[in-house]
This record gives sequence, C-alpha cells and structure tokens, in this order.
Amino acid sequence: MNYADSLIYLISSLIAVSAFYIQGQEFIVSMIRGQSVQSVLIAVVAFIIAWEERSYDFIILGALIIILRAFLVNYFLQKRIPKQKSYIYEGKVNLSYLFLVDLIFIVISVFILYSVAFSGIVLHSFLENSGNSGVLVFPLTLFFQGLFLIASRRTTFTQIIGYVEEENSLVLFAMFLLPIPIIIEASVFLDVLALVVISSIVVLEKFTHEPVEELRG
Amino acid sequence: MTIGNLLAVLILLIPSSVGIFYRWRIKEASIVAAAIDLALSTIMYYFRPQTGFFFVQNITIIFIMMVLSVHLLSTVYSTRYLRGIENMGIREPTYYLLLNLFTVSMIFSLEVNNYGFMWVGIEATTISSALLLITEKTEASLEATWRYIVLVSAGVAFAFISIILIYYSLGTLSVSVAIASHPHSRIIVLAVSLALIGFGTKVGVFPVHTWLPDAHSEAPSPVSAMFSGVLLPTALYVLYEVYEIEPVQQLYVWFAVISIVAASIFIGYQTRYKRMFAYSTMENMNLALLGLAAGGPLGVTGAILLLISHSFGKAGAFYSSGNVLRFTGKKNIAEINGLGTSMSYTSASLLLSSLAVTGTPPFGTFFGEFLILAEVLSLRMYAQFIIVIIFLATAFISVNYNITGMLFNGKGPHNERDRLMSAISVISSVLPLIIGIFYLVVYIEVL
Amino acid sequence: MTPPLNRWLNVDVVTLLETLTQYFFVILSAPLYAGILAKLKAMVESRNGPSIFQPYYDLLKLFNKVTIIPRGSGVFFKYMPYVLFGIYSLIALIIPVLVPVPIYLTASGDFLSGAILFSLATFLKTTAAMNSGSNYVALGASRAMSFNFLSEGTLITVFIAVSLLTATNNPYTTITFLTSNSLENISLVHIFSTLAFFMLFFYETGKIPLESSGLQELGMIDEGLNYEYSGKLLAVVKWSSYIKQYLLGSVLLNVFLIPWGLFSTSPIFLLDIPVMLAKWSILIFIVVIVETSLAKLRLFRVMDYLAIAFTFSILFLIFVEVIP
Repeated sequence: MNYADSLIYLISSLIAVSAFYIQGQEFIVSMIRGQSVQSVLIAVVAFIIAWEERSYDFIILGALIIILRAFLVNYFLQKRIPKQKSYIYEGKVNLSYLFLVDLIFIVISVFILYSVAFSGIVLHSFLENSGNSGVLVFPLTLFFQGLFLIASRRTTFTQIIGYVEEENSLVLFAMFLLPIPIIIEASVFLDVLALVVISSIVVLEKFTHEPVEELRG
Repeated sequence: MTIGNLLAVLILLIPSSVGIFYRWRIKEASIVAAAIDLALSTIMYYFRPQTGFFFVQNITIIFIMMVLSVHLLSTVYSTRYLRGIENMGIREPTYYLLLNLFTVSMIFSLEVNNYGFMWVGIEATTISSALLLITEKTEASLEATWRYIVLVSAGVAFAFISIILIYYSLGTLSVSVAIASHPHSRIIVLAVSLALIGFGTKVGVFPVHTWLPDAHSEAPSPVSAMFSGVLLPTALYVLYEVYEIEPVQQLYVWFAVISIVAASIFIGYQTRYKRMFAYSTMENMNLALLGLAAGGPLGVTGAILLLISHSFGKAGAFYSSGNVLRFTGKKNIAEINGLGTSMSYTSASLLLSSLAVTGTPPFGTFFGEFLILAEVLSLRMYAQFIIVIIFLATAFISVNYNITGMLFNGKGPHNERDRLMSAISVISSVLPLIIGIFYLVVYIEVL
Repeated sequence: MTPPLNRWLNVDVVTLLETLTQYFFVILSAPLYAGILAKLKAMVESRNGPSIFQPYYDLLKLFNKVTIIPRGSGVFFKYMPYVLFGIYSLIALIIPVLVPVPIYLTASGDFLSGAILFSLATFLKTTAAMNSGSNYVALGASRAMSFNFLSEGTLITVFIAVSLLTATNNPYTTITFLTSNSLENISLVHIFSTLAFFMLFFYETGKIPLESSGLQELGMIDEGLNYEYSGKLLAVVKWSSYIKQYLLGSVLLNVFLIPWGLFSTSPIFLLDIPVMLAKWSILIFIVVIVETSLAKLRLFRVMDYLAIAFTFSILFLIFVEVIP
C-alpha cells in the first residue's frame, strides 16, 4: 500500500467523521462550517487523484467543488440565518441516541447494499488493489448519513445540509468510480446551488416542521 | 442545422424568453408563447431533429405536444385563477416566469439525448416548481413545499447513482447509444433497479410517493394540473428510457402493482377532493408504468393512450376543483353539496373528468387500461391482473362516490362567477372523451 | 525459548522469573502512578501536593483500621474485594503489561478474554456495592451501569482491534508486527482504535473530564461504588482500582501508542521496568495536561462522550472490512 492510497483512505474516513460531527451539532453555524470542511476534504481527495493519474479533469473538479460547495453554499446559507436566537440554536439534540441509531442505519444499509450489489465492481482507477472495490464504502456511508440527517431533524437548515451531504457523497462516488464528464458535473453543482438558494427562500418563512393536520393521510 | 434541430431549440427558447416581458404584460406574452410552441411542436412531428444532441422518437413527440397543450390550458386558466388570492407568496409575474421555466425544463428532459442532462432537467423541474407551490401562502402550503423539495431531491439523488453506474459500464451517457447496445451485466441491472426508486420518486411509486398528495393538494389548481398532467409523465418517460437499457420486468411490474394497491387504499379514506385526485394520479401513473414495463405493442400503446387521456382528464379535474375552491372556498368533500344546481358547467366537467380518470368507457383511459391489462394477461401474469382489476374497481367506486356526493346532494344558488375558468375545465374534461371515441372509431373499426 | 535448565522440575527458570517480575511489579507499583499523578497535578496548580508515595501510606493505614460492614449487606459484599483482586491479578498475567512475550499463565486466556474479564470485574464490583443496601451507592451503581453499556462495547471492540491488524488475537504478535512495520502505525485501524481506547481510558479510570475526584457525591460514578467499604476491604478495593488503572494504561501504551522499547530476552527483561516507568511518565504527562485544562462534563454529556468513542470503534470496524 503506497502512501497515496493510505492517504486517500485516511481522508475518506475523516469525511465520514465530519458527517458524524454535523450529526451531533446543535448550532447551525457549526453545521454549515462542518459541511464546508467536508467539501474541502472531498476536493483534497480529488487533487490527490489528479496527482496520481496525471489528469487535469480532476483538478478542475476539485476547484469547482471548493468554489461552489465550500464557498458559495456556505455563503448563501450563512447570509440567510437571521440573528434571532431561535434560528441559531437547534434545541435539545440527544447526541448519543442519534449516533447509535445512525450507526445502526449505516451498518445495515451499507452492508446490505455493498455485499449484495457492489462487491463485484472493478475500479478503473489508480488504486493499487483495483480488484477490490472497498473504497466505495465511504461514499455509501456518507449518502446514508445524509439521509439520516434529513430524517432525524426538524429544522429546515439541517435538512438542507443533509441534502448537500448527499450530493457530496454522489460526487465522491463518481470520483472513485469513473469521472463523469465535466459538463455534467458542473450542471449538477449548479443545480445544487440553485436548490440551496430556493430552499433558503423557503427557510425564511418556515423554520420547523411539525406534523400538519391538513397533510395527513 | 436541420429544421428539426432548429425547431427543438426554438421550442426550448421561446418560453424562456417570456422573461423579457417580466415587467410588462407577461400574461399575454406567456399565452402567445405557449400557443406558438404548440404549433411548432406539431410541425416538429414532421421534421424530426437528428439524433445527436436531441433524441426524439414518436413517443417523445406525443409527450412534448401533451406538455405544451396542458401548459397552454394552465396558462390561460391561471390568468383568472390568480385573481382571488389574498395572501400571495410570490408575485404574479414571478408565477408566470416560473411556470414557463417549469415547462422548459420538462421539455429539456424529454428532448435531450443524455442521461446526465435528463437528471439535471428533472432537478430543474423541482427547482422551478418549488416556489410555485407557495402561491397561496398558508402554513400547510409552506410545509408541503418543503416536503416536496426535500423528499424529491433526496429520492432523485438515488437516481444519480444509477446514472453513474450506467456511465461506468457503458462508457457513454447517450440515450440512443445505450438503448441500442444490449448489455447484460449485474451492474446495469443494479442501475436500472436503483433508477426505479430514484426517478420513481417523481413518478409516484410506493413507497417514495409521499410528497405527491401534499404537493398536489396545496398547490394552486393550474400548477396541480401541470404536475399531474405533465410532470409525472415526463418523469415516467425518463424512467422508461432507463428501463429500456435492460428491462428488469418482474421488479417494475411488482412495484407498479403494489403502488396501485396502495393508491386505491389511500383513496378510500380521503376527505379532501384535491388529495383524492392526487392519489388517483398516482394510481394512473403506476398503471402506465405497468403497461410500459409489460412491454409489447399492446402495453406501450395502452400506456401512451392512458397517459394522454389521463393528462387532459386530470387537468380537467383539477381545473374543476379549482373552480369549486375559488367559488365556494371549501376543501372538504363533506362540506360541499349540490354543485349540480349551483355550478352547472363546473359540475359537468367535474363529473366527466372523474369518470375519465377512473377509466370509464368510452373515455380514452378505459381503452388504455384495457390494452395494458390485455398485455399483462398475455404475459400470463395472472396474479397481477387480478389484483389490479380489484383495486381499480375499488378506486373507481371511491372516487365516483365522493364526486357524485358532491354533485347531486341538495341544492344551492347559482355560484359560477367566472366563465373562462369553467370553459377551460369543460374543454379539458371533454378531450379524453374525444380521444377515446377517436380511438374507438379509427382503430377498433380497422381491427 | 532457552531449554529448561532444571529438567526435573520442568520449569523454565527465565519464564518463571519473568512471570514473578511481572506480577509483583504490577501489584506493587500500581499505587505509585496515582501518587505521581496527584503530585504532578498539584505542582501544576501551584500547590505542594502530597508525596508520591501517599497511596502506599493510605493503603497501610487502611489495613490497620477496623472494618465495618453495614447491617443489611449480604455475602457478596464481604468477599467481593478479594475476588476482584484475584481477577485483576489474572489479567495482569494475560496481557502485555511488562514483558512483551508470553509468560506462564498467559495462555489461560487470550486478549478478548482480558476484555471480558474487565467487564466481569466491573459487574462484580457493582453487584457487591448494590448488595450493601445503601442509597448513595445505589445512585452510583445506577450511573455506572447506565454508562457502562457504551463503554463496555467500546472496550470489547477495541480489544478486538488488535486482531484486525494481524489476523490473530494475540497482542504479543501485534507488538512485534507494529514494531517491525512502522508504516502500519498510521493505518486507519490503528489510529481510530487508539483514539477510541484513549477516550475510553479516561472513563474507565475515572479522570476529569468524566469523573470528579474526591468524595463529592454529585459527580461520582466509579467512586460511588466504594462508598460503603471501610478498613481492609476498602484497602483491597482501592488497590484493585489502582491495578486496573495500571493495566489499562499499559495496554494503551504497549499495544497502541508506543509499541517500541520492550525487551524480551533474559536477563535484560529487567530493563523493562524502567522502560515501563518512562512510558508511564509520558502517559501521566498527557493525563495531567488534559485534567488541568478541562472541566468536568455534566452527567448526560458523559453519555455523549462515550457515544463518540463507541462510534469511532464501530467506524473502524466498518472501514477495516473493506480496506486491506
């Protein structure tokens, strides 16, 4: 195992750890910052792959990720938080319970999905053990953590962050598997940005989500 | 550039250019743009674009024409519908701009020859239609908007995984190339199955359909009509294009059947008419999915016929509901009585459209369902056939019971204040009847 | 192994010496570390502090005092401290706390059984404490039990972690493996398991930020279990907790943090004693820094802290499945 491989594994595991960090936060600003840290880590992985494979596409991808996800999404979300206290602090977050349920969710989903479906995939990329597609566990874990974040929280901001986390996991997945043409990736990023902008308009009006009687059934 | 390509590009550009008129007469501009677009699409039937950036088959042309017709009807309807709303979440010009962008993104998803761009188009429809849902700003509509955004985006993100897998194993994202090659690998099967959950969120497959009734019931009626009539069929078209790479028939058929069962059960205990119609949309969409998955000439023809008739019929149903809501101000079925006497045109269109969407002969939906079920039977899927028949009958009874309860109980004073809205709803409800009779005369007689 | 010198006794003198050295070193030097820690902490806080041999003086004093047993207590209460001491003595021979090669009685249990013996000891201690029938002790016992479900999961998982690096559950192999392939030290398994065990060490040995020292009942988790003991029994219980601290810290040092520096051949293994003292001083240094800069966590936060440690341990289990 050469250095680049272990470095990529390490950084990918840090990405998963950052998703747990976001899960356990009560303050919304910390969540937004955690998400931008996550995007920067993904960009670092892109740069490492670019250096290993000597391709320019990944450098552009990494730069796009940093600009669009780490900066712009961050900027839009932070601009939209009004300064009232009720918008900044989420409320009682039962961290240990959430972590445990999150872990169970990840283990079940990732292992079922992985062992049933993905184990036969041969990675085309540079990783030395290209017969083993094990590194795909990381984006899958991140995807399900994003889903769990959306499902477990009530405030709109947190759900937006959960969605961005899901999209991050898709980018990571595409990077490990085979790079999608840049034009498509760019459109996906712009899509996500537009979604965040739209959501931030909605979030001004509607902050928490309790069950509504009219929408039952 | 050939005429076909030029037409395809123009169809995309014209509605988006309505934004120029944002400050001045955007309503008239959108109506004119919709009419021109419809004309251009009929011309495009004869001059197809080359398969390159665009990929337009016969089915696609039919879908495009359907999208543009319902768009035209909705635009005209909105001019009157928006008059009475007190608490508007977005301003009127924004509404029209978003409506046009919504249509452009749908046509983009239909026309383009690239799975990645199709995905982007579907996401763009979510973006452009999200703000349309808060036109009537209430607590429930804000919640419905948020649920729509989050659930659909989270679900469609699944579809992106399948697109990545398709690219990985085929090396290309072009739809025409992908369908022409016949790969048989586990990864493609996985991709197609994931797409069922992913794009199926937009189509209304159980269990990821949960945004559907909320969004349809809280949106303004013309927007609901567009959702039911064109957004879901567009998503179904994209799903079908993925399905054609490697038909995973059993999975799709069973999911369609389960969704039909779920929809019929949910219809049974609805208390609000718009939500009831939303579940009926889910049922019809899954019937069309069943037809497309069963395949064969009967299945596909039946599905297309069902989709066209259903679009107009459901649009008519939602226009009528919009009339009812606008004129009586009530959302519950139980609270509304005696529409037959108080609103004659609306009640006629309501009855016609509810018969249309539940599959009554001689409406086009009946023939569509008939062909689909014939195909299912010819594939010897007896269990699915029996289940579907039973639950279609259940839904038929539930919907029509509720509607006739609204129409024929009691009397009321004449309440129909706006002629144009009623006219649109009547036109839209009669179209399935015309389609059905046309099919009966032209095709069955030949057979 | 050198051939047995004394054939008719069938005993390998070197191994016997190693066993005895290890056992007595563990037993006798365990209170020393607590003393050094207290003195160092006091020095940082600009106090004079007790002498480093104070725990020994305390134990001697307690041995000479009268043992009082509450009226409602049962049989467990009287005899449990000795059983506890016995368990910890057994663990002292199973895991690599002084000598990096197996000695006599090491084969009586592997590494995972070491973890389970720790859990057994905790369970017995809690049961015995509950057996005394006092209210304060019940409070401490309920707290201890409600946190233990997370900490024991982490403990067992971390102890399994050594097997993930070398495919055997033998910690001695791990030590050799880690010293010979230095690159493995930054592998994912190693880093995460070290982190998890480090966090766990603070909980199991009752340090700030998890448990306040002294006899304030508000924060007692582990201390609460000692509340009703007195005299000889208290001395044995306290000694056992010092031994436990030494054992856990030594595993942390020898297998996870700093696997280098231990000698195995005779008679150089006697050099292991100053090496262990040196390693322990590093650990004490780190502990002092943490203890004097953090405040005690509120009780419900302790659960969060343990959940984080547990998450790390499960995470590396997931990841190591797929990373070679």
